[in-house]
Amino acid sequence: MRDLLKECLGEESGFVELRYHHKESRSFFAERGRVESTALRKRTGVGVRVLEAGTWGFASTSEISKFSIQNAIQVAKKAARLSSALRKDKIPNLPKANFAIGDFIGKGIEDFRGRSVEEKLKLVLDIQNAAAKQSAKLQSVGCGYSEIYEEKAIVTTDGADSFFTMVRPEFRVSAVAKEDGKMESGSHSIGVTGGWDCLFRSQSPTEISDEACKTAVDLLSSILPDGGLSTVILSPSIVGLLVHEAIGHTVEADFVLSGSVAQGKIGHRVGSDLVTLCDSGYSEYYEGAGGSIPVDDEGVIPTNTVIIKNGILSSYLHNRETAERFGVAPTGSARAWEYGDVPLIRMRNTFLMPGDSSLEEMIANTKDGYYLDGAKNGQADATGEFMFAVQKAYRIQNGKITDLLKGVTVSGLAFDVLQNVDMVSKEFKWDLGSGHCGKGQPAKVDAGGPYVRTKVLLGGK
Amino acid sequence: MDRHSIEKRLNDQKDLLSNLVKKAKSNGIDQVEIYSSYGYSEDVSLEKNDLNNCTATEENMFGIRVIAEGNQGFIISNHIPSLYESIEEAYSLAKSQSTPDFDLCLPDPETIRAVFNQYDDSLDKLGIEDLVASAKEALGWRNDLYSKVNIDSGDFSLSKGYKLIVSSKGVMAHELGAELSASVMGMGVDGDLVGSFDYDSASGFNKDQFQTLWKKAFLNFGDKCMGALYAKPISGFQGKVLLPPDAVYSFFLGLFIGSLNGTSLRKGKSKMAGKLGEKVASSLLSIWDDPTNSGLMGSTGFDREGLPTARKPVLTEGVLNTYFYNTYEAKKAGLPKSNGSATGGAQSLPGCGPKQLQIAPGTSSKDEFFKLPGRTLFVNRISGTKDGASGDFSGVIKGGYVLENGAKIPVREVQIVGNAFDALNQIEAISKEGELLGESSFVPYMLLDGFTITGVTEN
Repeated sequence: MRDLLKECLGEESGFVELRYHHKESRSFFAERGRVESTALRKRTGVGVRVLEAGTWGFASTSEISKFSIQNAIQVAKKAARLSSALRKDKIPNLPKANFAIGDFIGKGIEDFRGRSVEEKLKLVLDIQNAAAKQSAKLQSVGCGYSEIYEEKAIVTTDGADSFFTMVRPEFRVSAVAKEDGKMESGSHSIGVTGGWDCLFRSQSPTEISDEACKTAVDLLSSILPDGGLSTVILSPSIVGLLVHEAIGHTVEADFVLSGSVAQGKIGHRVGSDLVTLCDSGYSEYYEGAGGSIPVDDEGVIPTNTVIIKNGILSSYLHNRETAERFGVAPTGSARAWEYGDVPLIRMRNTFLMPGDSSLEEMIANTKDGYYLDGAKNGQADATGEFMFAVQKAYRIQNGKITDLLKGVTVSGLAFDVLQNVDMVSKEFKWDLGSGHCGKGQPAKVDAGGPYVRTKVLLGGK
Repeated sequence: MDRHSIEKRLNDQKDLLSNLVKKAKSNGIDQVEIYSSYGYSEDVSLEKNDLNNCTATEENMFGIRVIAEGNQGFIISNHIPSLYESIEEAYSLAKSQSTPDFDLCLPDPETIRAVFNQYDDSLDKLGIEDLVASAKEALGWRNDLYSKVNIDSGDFSLSKGYKLIVSSKGVMAHELGAELSASVMGMGVDGDLVGSFDYDSASGFNKDQFQTLWKKAFLNFGDKCMGALYAKPISGFQGKVLLPPDAVYSFFLGLFIGSLNGTSLRKGKSKMAGKLGEKVASSLLSIWDDPTNSGLMGSTGFDREGLPTARKPVLTEGVLNTYFYNTYEAKKAGLPKSNGSATGGAQSLPGCGPKQLQIAPGTSSKDEFFKLPGRTLFVNRISGTKDGASGDFSGVIKGGYVLENGAKIPVREVQIVGNAFDALNQIEAISKEGELLGESSFVPYMLLDGFTITGVTEN
């Protein structure tokens, strides 16, 4: 594929970027004793991006031929020329980058190819059947397995020349419990970049299912917490949501240029000394983080970017264009979901670095607060105000965990929450690998970290 | 790409897909359905108060559903030369399963009663130059009227295409469509002060309709961003909330409508199970689904299974009239056939849901809602979470105001918690005025009482 793309570039003199992308998504879902759905999605094409007259032009084609790709190059060039007159802030050129050259074959691909459809169907059906028998209160249990396999080749006129593959499996269980007309739901999911063994390395399918079902049943007897500003200990999945939503989005350089709260704050204190925040294309501490990429969608080798070092804001996340504007090196953060999508600045694996405390010490040191666990969804704002939803909130009183309460939304101002971090655990976990981040287009990301104690606004009664 | 070339492609594809279905049948694959979705679009995007990118994209996606001995396989592909291999692959997926349900079958064809022409030929005279001109005009509005509003992103699109469904049971239906659309997202920025994000969008069948609606949407966006710029934290309180049409539709009613889905009902996940004919909401609330109004953007003559759509009452003065069924869910519910409510497109299996909800206007004046005595929270948007089973929702209010003694005070760091099913009975008044969301669903303002509002400052 690299050869075909290079041939298509021919004698092109300006900047042209060709990105071949073949994506196969398989999903299997069982509920109420039967396989409810099986689906295979295949999408292939080439995205063409040009920089002409100081402006981007983009076109895409699903036909993988020299004629179609070269035609798309011309369409993209025409689009760029037509829009050049309007663009005020022209892009003069793109900086040199640490380009990926060669083939980068992801781990786990043989493993996922070697397993049959029947094996994957049996997994979801067996787990679903077993889970549904756990409690008479369980109204419905759904179990799903899915995997995304991707092949990409990226070639540019200024030196990128790579082919890479990866596979991202996910496993999820959702349960609904009912009692006396009250309904509650629980869910648990995992996702990695790697093979089947990597997926179930830290939790078996049965353990995942047990956790989802127990949450649904336990929540039947829960009530809402008191609303208000509260001391909270966040589990790694919630820390992941916090750093992704509250900080990560505000330091994406395109968003910074639009006026996010992180604008002009490089070198400023934005968190307590205990806070060191990174976003990495690799999987730090242990393998398999769901947002790992060997090469970004501009053909750049991704870095481990230290965003906040001991509380001081030290870097934004960049693509090639914003790196040029800020006079820094690209961080390898440009990502596109499908061949027809333009690469945007996106997080990869976002994490807080571990500290010295233990979770046990953190709970014992909390007189009045909550332990929040089970990430649901979250969003952030330009103001740095964020919200994320939690599944379960446990009351902490006099250093001990007491009642289970309904998880609700938690909100705060990003940098205030980081300033209030006063304990960070040594335990570390990636815990958002089954999630997708939305920013005009989806992206597979992961996030996590240690247990963290801080203050947030808890919605409640 | 113009109407003539799109129609030619459609006609060629009808033949191609019919032949593929025939070939499958002759090879023993009896139940095959192919849903084709073709789109060509030209787009101009904005970023950071400037033009960002111009794109041209074209794609044809195919959703291939095969049912064999009570099991179903589904393949989505954009590769025309290998469509027959995809049919075989879907068949193989179905055959690998061991949990058949013989209620699972493709529907028999029915006559499509409403035929739509939603392709205005005048759009064939437009191109990317016109989109660039619209972008330039919007940047001018921003510079002249809202210099403190930063456009984070925006998009202008001219899109054309068709949907086509062909099945081995004889279903064959298609519709052409074309539209101009635009959206904008951004926030107010004044020195170190940054306001909440907001957005708005508009679309139209032709240039005149689009331009009128787009200008209105852009000005609304600018006003919302400026309104949120100087927001302050407040203390919590118990009381009334005022929801504008966007918030009514996206957050509050969404959970209720989701509970009328035939799949949720069958799986025991819906609190509305067994409530047909019962009063489940305030008598002030009436809702119907109408995909047959040709003046609206989302109207369509057929659903995801190629069956005719129709107007149907959903809630009449608080009494529940209907659920939404596709063919499979209707069979499971013991009904003779679906009610034309299969949702989705080429990239999904048929789901169940409404096509184009309409909410009956009330009798109150919306302006009076802004002058109520006491404290009322105006909820522009909720950034939060909702649970389909319990109906619980909670979130942060974005671009909201506290309305107090005629004053409108912009607020931030405010959370709301509630339950959608309870909220149906907390409706105190509905406005006679409303908005046509997405140029398709009429939604009024609603005033509700009895909510817990959490703030960060002390009382």
